[in-house]
Amino acid sequence: MQLQPAMPRSWRVDTKPHKFCPGCGHGLILKCLGQAVDELGIEDRVVYGCDIGCSLLSWDFFNLDTVQTHHGRTTPVMTGIKRARPELICIAYMGDGGGYSIGVQHLVSSVHRNEKITVVLANNTQYAMTGGQMAPTTLPGQKTETTPYGRDPEVTGFPFQGPEMVSAIAREGAYVARGSISNMRQLTGYLKKALVNQIEGNGFSFVEALSACPTNWRTNASETWSFIDKEMHGHFKTGEFKTPGSGQGEVRADE
Amino acid sequence: MTDRVVEAYVGEYAAGKSENALNRAIGLAGQDRMVTLVDLDLVEPFYTLRPLQKALSRLGVEVIAWKTEETLGLGEAGTVIKPAARWALRRAGDIILDIGYGVEGARTLNLVEGSTADQDLMVIAVINCSRPWTSTVEDIVLDVQQMARVNGLINNTHMAEETTVDLVQEGARTVSNAAKILGLPVVATAVCDGIAKKIGHADCMGNPVRPLQRMMQKAFW
Amino acid sequence: MLQKVIQEEKRAFMTGNEVVAWAALAARAEIMFGYPITPQNEIMHYWTRLAPKYGKSFLQTEDELSAGFAAAGGVMSGRKAFTATAGTGNILMQEPLSMAEMMRLPVVAVIQQRGGPSTATVIYSQQEVNLTTMGGNGEGLRIVYSTATHQELYDYTIKAFNTAWKYRFPTFVLGDGYQAKMREPLTLYDPEARGIQLVEQEPFVGQKGSPGKDRPPAQYRNTYNLEEELFEKLMSDVRDYEKIIPELAEFQSSGVEGAELAIVGHGVVFRAVREAVNVLREQGIKVCYFRPVTLRPLPVPQLKSLAGEVKKILIVESAYGQLARLVTEAVYGANAEIHTLFKPGVGITSGEVEARAREILQKPLH
Repeated sequence: MQLQPAMPRSWRVDTKPHKFCPGCGHGLILKCLGQAVDELGIEDRVVYGCDIGCSLLSWDFFNLDTVQTHHGRTTPVMTGIKRARPELICIAYMGDGGGYSIGVQHLVSSVHRNEKITVVLANNTQYAMTGGQMAPTTLPGQKTETTPYGRDPEVTGFPFQGPEMVSAIAREGAYVARGSISNMRQLTGYLKKALVNQIEGNGFSFVEALSACPTNWRTNASETWSFIDKEMHGHFKTGEFKTPGSGQGEVRADE
Repeated sequence: MTDRVVEAYVGEYAAGKSENALNRAIGLAGQDRMVTLVDLDLVEPFYTLRPLQKALSRLGVEVIAWKTEETLGLGEAGTVIKPAARWALRRAGDIILDIGYGVEGARTLNLVEGSTADQDLMVIAVINCSRPWTSTVEDIVLDVQQMARVNGLINNTHMAEETTVDLVQEGARTVSNAAKILGLPVVATAVCDGIAKKIGHADCMGNPVRPLQRMMQKAFW
Repeated sequence: MLQKVIQEEKRAFMTGNEVVAWAALAARAEIMFGYPITPQNEIMHYWTRLAPKYGKSFLQTEDELSAGFAAAGGVMSGRKAFTATAGTGNILMQEPLSMAEMMRLPVVAVIQQRGGPSTATVIYSQQEVNLTTMGGNGEGLRIVYSTATHQELYDYTIKAFNTAWKYRFPTFVLGDGYQAKMREPLTLYDPEARGIQLVEQEPFVGQKGSPGKDRPPAQYRNTYNLEEELFEKLMSDVRDYEKIIPELAEFQSSGVEGAELAIVGHGVVFRAVREAVNVLREQGIKVCYFRPVTLRPLPVPQLKSLAGEVKKILIVESAYGQLARLVTEAVYGANAEIHTLFKPGVGITSGEVEARAREILQKPLH
């Protein structure tokens, strides 16, 4: 048995410990992403883009060329890089506010055009950096700073189903999945497939990762895992939604 | 065939379609013929015939084009075809159609009822060899081949105030060579009045010279 | 694949938007990102017709935010990328161009001003001066060339790429709907054949070598730890910008010495100003013209000395005081009286300029 290194090779050791809060999901997602990059050996070709929101704290996270952009705009910046230099592998990393709200037109349009980029989106059910406001992904009844009495879906809608929407409009060649920090082996697999999809030039690839924000959730460790596994998994199915060659296909959810 | 003149002016952006259509309509009206001029520029109707309508009416040309008070936001929201334009070919007398530019410009004729069946309809592509897109024989051939239907070419080579006899004659040679490859006639060399006088009735290739009054400047272009 | 766009110099008869597309090719621009808005559409139309013949690319994005940010991505990857927009599109463009300002990205944007805020009034306007010179949430660290002729549209579009890549500030070519649509002759040329050296582009990201092994990773952020860090960064950019102002600021003037009245105008309106000045001078009336070519940075010392030379200044623009605000600030403290002729969203003829000048000088036509 081969032991995983403590840190992926593609991480920058000199910027660790990272800048995220204790218990934050970003570090785990980026560990999976780092491992995927390591396993594919693509660090010389990757351009990593991060958004505004807590994802920006990863601007010096990797030993990868990196651009930190504006809120929701990482998708078009990576699109621009990819269109101008198709040989580069472009990863746009963002939160649910950036991808599903302020930058949702960019997500939809890049899916629609089948841009050959990889979007990785952390879903932590709220805006974290701005202090815990409601996000498109906030669960019904969940209390945030802008839904102090709990989210009322009649007023503000139900949690945004990102991969479901993306797979519904994606063309053949796209890769769409939702993983979770509670299953890192699976999440790493999804991220790797997403990157392979870009490397092979098949089309757009998208991975949503269910993440955690204990700071804004005000949860301790066991409450955090419980919120992810019981609450979030109840609203967000993990699994692969679309793989190249699968056609329009059915959702293959985990049990 | 009848003695009815039915002509549609097509061509590349800024080739001089409106100027030629206008002058042709005025010329025919000057022969006491009944003439209707139709603005079918769906991209930029605002910039073309609209400002000249009153002047044209005085010259005996009936104009089918939007009037400012009838529309909203023509400068940008221009892709609105006037119902009368759609049925223009059903009118009595001569019909001159000013067709807009664009990849789909020449296909605008599809929107005019009866355009495929009209025996008299002559589609004329206006060519200005001073425009980089149509400066060589090869370019012109490619450009005209991409248009849905063309029955003849007009050499409209000019460079505004810098136009010279030599420039027009060089254009005549280029357009005539392109016409030969395309198997189309050169209907005329159109040129502003002053230069037309210097060239005479025919250009160096024997094509008839059609003198132009610059009207479009009054439409601000 | 064709290499050189212009083999030999030639006169051509074109519309302004076409000129921009040809100039961008002549400047060896590599990729355009755009979103439809009148009156800049034909820049995209001609770029998309020409680009494939020369191995260049185009992407029609979902909006101007995307066009601007994708252009930012394009330049970061080391390609000469540009965009073009107008009006409300220019408003959206301010977000990406503000990022470009802060991250020192050489994005080139061509703005064809339109009347506003509105739709459909797309021909005469100089109402995007505020927006284009100072439109971001920053300090306006950008270069804005205001063109008056097709030749200038060609010259300054080429120059904009050089300025952007040399100084690493976003650079604008500011035209308007009238220039975009009007037709006039100009000379097309290959810049290098005229000895104009094209500044080489360099990648910000996607550089050669393995990051962390052969070189440190290239990492760019627009986030600052503390106000002090932002202040340091901004002031360093401000110092860079101020240092290059003398190299960048451009103007055109004539007949200043002995003139009583200076007429100031920019862009297409300058054509009317120059014509009016010529007519008035032929009649022995002591007027001169001054035209800022760069609206950002403004030629401030030259404007100051103008205001010391003449008794009166007339500022003419198709806007309600956007140029006037810049000029008035520049000449603050000088004794010259400031007069104005503002026609927001409407064209201005030389006759109108002439009449206003006569009114100011109390020299009515007999």
